Amino acid sequence: MTELTRRNFGLLAGASLSALAMPSLVLAQGKPKVVIIGGGPGGGTAARYIAKESNGAIDVTLIEPQKTFTTCFFSNLYVGGFRDYKSLTHNYDKVKKSGVKVVHAAATAIDRDKKQVVIAGGQRIPYDRLLVAPGIDLKFDSVPGYSEAAAEIMPHAWKPGAQTQLLVKKLNVLKDGDQIVMIAPPNPYRCPPGPYERASMFAHVLKKKGYKKSRIVILDPKPAFSKQGVFAEGWENHYPGMIEWQDPKMHGGIKGVDAKAGTVQTDLADYKAALVNVIPAQWAGKIARDANLTNASGYCPIDAASMKSTVDPNIFVVGDASIAGEMPKSAFSANSQAKVAAMIIRSELTQSRAFPARYSNTCWSLIAPDDDIKVGASYEPKDGAIKATSTFVSQKNEAADLRKQNYKESVDWYNGITADIFG
Amino acid sequence: MRRWAHARLRTSFRISREGGAAAILTMGMAMSGHASQAAMAGDVELGRYLSSECTTCHGAAKSDSTIPPIHGLDQRHFVEVLKAYRAKTLPNAAMQNIAGRLHDDDIAALAAYFAAAKPR
Repeated sequence: MTELTRRNFGLLAGASLSALAMPSLVLAQGKPKVVIIGGGPGGGTAARYIAKESNGAIDVTLIEPQKTFTTCFFSNLYVGGFRDYKSLTHNYDKVKKSGVKVVHAAATAIDRDKKQVVIAGGQRIPYDRLLVAPGIDLKFDSVPGYSEAAAEIMPHAWKPGAQTQLLVKKLNVLKDGDQIVMIAPPNPYRCPPGPYERASMFAHVLKKKGYKKSRIVILDPKPAFSKQGVFAEGWENHYPGMIEWQDPKMHGGIKGVDAKAGTVQTDLADYKAALVNVIPAQWAGKIARDANLTNASGYCPIDAASMKSTVDPNIFVVGDASIAGEMPKSAFSANSQAKVAAMIIRSELTQSRAFPARYSNTCWSLIAPDDDIKVGASYEPKDGAIKATSTFVSQKNEAADLRKQNYKESVDWYNGITADIFG
Repeated sequence: MRRWAHARLRTSFRISREGGAAAILTMGMAMSGHASQAAMAGDVELGRYLSSECTTCHGAAKSDSTIPPIHGLDQRHFVEVLKAYRAKTLPNAAMQNIAGRLHDDDIAALAAYFAAAKPR
């Protein structure tokens, strides 16, 4: 592999000056190479679409340390007892069958000058185009007193895996009268309706057990949240008096947590809770930050028409790590952005036709059994940013059968998008 | 396939109670009416690109899904259904929104692609 890498690097270095102006030179020297960092909704989709749509004309390598991927989307349904953990976990067998070379290692650095990705162990993988989809990292210190160690007591469960299992374990041993406090994240963050769907699932579990005395307090650094009106209506309908949402005017500011004591302090009150779910502020995954693909916001600026990084023409960024204008950070968005990036990458490397970028998103949220709300939009590039061209959102007082239909639709969507990502 | 899709539409109609009569009427006319020349001349390559928006939800759809399978669908039927969503005479907020930005050429391209396509 070392020899192969060195040879390819030499060829690429020779072609690098003219490669952008004359992509055929790259072609003349063997298959163009696309490397993808991150095997989630963005990376998995891009890998499969580039490999399948190019019919083997592009060499596609996906770098993902985990052998299986547990989706963050739908993990709230695991919290609520509607899904088992296994149903959220997917492997890469079909991604490989799509013609993608999957390297199960951590990408440790991007050498932008040499156009190589360094993986754990030091091996270098050369690319003509790199797609970066690392998702988010958590800013633990955005909540005073919170840390990676504190998360073992006060789970964030905002990245899939052991954290989600810990949250469920703690939820399921609560006694009637035990309190739950959730600290919601500031914008921008992964899955805008997610914290409020999760609070709904907490309430569902407590209600199902017949608990009368337990309460859920959401301390929010934001003055408003996604689908707020329909969430509030649903909470009143299904869980009257159980969920209390506080905006900054109500709590006066979140002062911090003490994991060992199980306490949360705000400007106006102290809380002692049996379960504290801290969802801290977020930014782009470390590898994107280390490669200087991010700006002061901590996320990666992109060209709205292509998802190409504005700081490196050979790199594309999709999914939660990108600054995708009005698109929310969701698996649906990442999947949509990956398809635009895949289409542009193919066009640059194999001269396939390029089309104007179109993006879309829909987010479903379950409030209670068979009561599911949704929000969605179509997006296009406009004035240098991704802007919504049309939107829709569930309304108050909708018919129960429509909400039930939404839930069934969300389950079918999950089956669809996971097949789109993982094959 | 066509009969099945009809059943699906009727189910959707019952659930939302929005403009259902108009939708069924539109469909009936489409089935017995003119062939769409545009559908037959659809740009398959454009359709293949645009189809990636559809496959997020429809790619793995089964016949008993709320999200119906659309690979192999008759072109004329496909065109009329999408135009009905665009006109909001068929219910489903997500589909109305998606169809809302599709031009006739886009719809023809999608119909041409899906008529012969298999899931990726």
